[in-house]
Amino acid sequence: MDTYLILIDSLSSALRQGWLELASARHSMGASRVNSALFDLKSHHASTTLQVENAGMDIELPCFRLSKWASSDGPEKGAKLQEDELLQNKCDSPRLEHHEVQDTRDEGGVSSVTPNNHARKERFKSLSMFGTLVSPKLRATQLSFETALETLVEISNVRASLLRAYDQVQKDLNTTK
Amino acid sequence: MYGFEALTFNIHGGYLEAIVRGYRSGLLTAADYNNLCQCETLDDIKMHLSATEYGPYLQNEPSPLHTTTIVEKCTLKLVDEYKHMLTQATEPLSTFLEYITYGHMIDNVVLIVTGTLHERDVQELLEKCHPLGMFDSIATLAVAQNMRELYRLVLVDTPLAPYFSECITSEDLDDMNIEIMRNTLYKAYLEDFYRFCQKIGGATAEIMSDLLSFEADRRAVNISINSIGTELTRDDRRKLYSNFGLLYPYGHEELAVCEDIDQVRGAMEKYPPYQAIFSKLSYGESQILDKAFYEEEVKRLCLAFEQQFHYGVFFAYMRLREQEIRNLMWISECVAQNQKSRVHDSVVFIF
Repeated sequence: MDTYLILIDSLSSALRQGWLELASARHSMGASRVNSALFDLKSHHASTTLQVENAGMDIELPCFRLSKWASSDGPEKGAKLQEDELLQNKCDSPRLEHHEVQDTRDEGGVSSVTPNNHARKERFKSLSMFGTLVSPKLRATQLSFETALETLVEISNVRASLLRAYDQVQKDLNTTK
Repeated sequence: MYGFEALTFNIHGGYLEAIVRGYRSGLLTAADYNNLCQCETLDDIKMHLSATEYGPYLQNEPSPLHTTTIVEKCTLKLVDEYKHMLTQATEPLSTFLEYITYGHMIDNVVLIVTGTLHERDVQELLEKCHPLGMFDSIATLAVAQNMRELYRLVLVDTPLAPYFSECITSEDLDDMNIEIMRNTLYKAYLEDFYRFCQKIGGATAEIMSDLLSFEADRRAVNISINSIGTELTRDDRRKLYSNFGLLYPYGHEELAVCEDIDQVRGAMEKYPPYQAIFSKLSYGESQILDKAFYEEEVKRLCLAFEQQFHYGVFFAYMRLREQEIRNLMWISECVAQNQKSRVHDSVVFIF
């Protein structure tokens, strides 16, 4: 339960940080460069997808997994798989070492989960709808929302395990009666 | 001849200089900003602004307000003031005033072209354009596939036509080409504006060359920082820097090869005016660089009003108003997002 509440709090602060950084990027680059009219409506692959596992085998405990930067293929797939494995480890161990992740991010300025060229290229590609020479503030915004997305997936996994535990307790109580 | 403007300036420019100095006295003061920073809601901001010159522009806006509405209405005031001055101006002041808007025209062209590339509706894009940068055939930009068509179909009849000679290619427009086009156009515009001011001569040339040099240098720094880690090559980066300014040419050579913010700092600290700006930053930090540059710019713009009989006051006034609108935008965003503790991160006081 503690983990769940900590995650909710960190999601809220990541989102607040992200929205303020977005306003800061608009302030820096100008409203004509950062606005919703520039979003790309051409059909393209999602750069990040959410996968639900164990849905068939154990529908009481689904496992949510984020597959990031899935739009590229070729040599970068190795980096993507490595990243997916790291995210998989997070899914398998719902107890999140939240502060460790936060500290690691603060040290390097980027998340410790994706410290490679593939992720960096895909991030630049995602931001290219606002231009190729964007302010570091817009890149910081992207990282904040990326962190928020990862936290959201962890919240889903923790919530799923909490609900399963609750159902199990209810079942045991009914059996005892 | 420099120093003799007092003899003849007022014949054609006296009325408008008086007008712009009157407009300048309507800029928000530190007391106004302190009141605005204490607002709890956007309606409170509207209420405080109703006592300023923005009042008539915001009074009919219904609640709930949005931050973009506040910015839009404040910009309308600036546009009205600009149009009043433009209609009253004679040459060469009228051309000088038109030059001030070419930057917005470039932004609008790039917005329309980028939005069209992303399959957005043209009407939606036109609503987002800056009103100071509008021209008659702007909507036709949406049909161009490459820069050659862009020039031939639309821009040949606009003031931006001379700036296209350096970036006309037949390559299809994509995100990188558009970015290079934007910066190449802006570079050509700044250089042309600089030459125009030099041709006017006198106090206008002296004051405007300082302001435009600062603008060129700031652009060079921003291009260098924003291109770190991107596919833009060193040669392409160098080509985007303007051919004037304090950093030209040796500072540009150093900036072109910078790979991180600390190297940019190292290149800039050799120039005393920019040493003061970068001394405010911690190592590896670039978040408050924008604010530091804005503060320096505001200082220089305010100094332009200390001298009479030159056109720099018009440029300074327009830029100060734009800074004021940026301040209002930031304060509104902090209030709307309930982050008032961060409001002083980006507000630059003018007086």
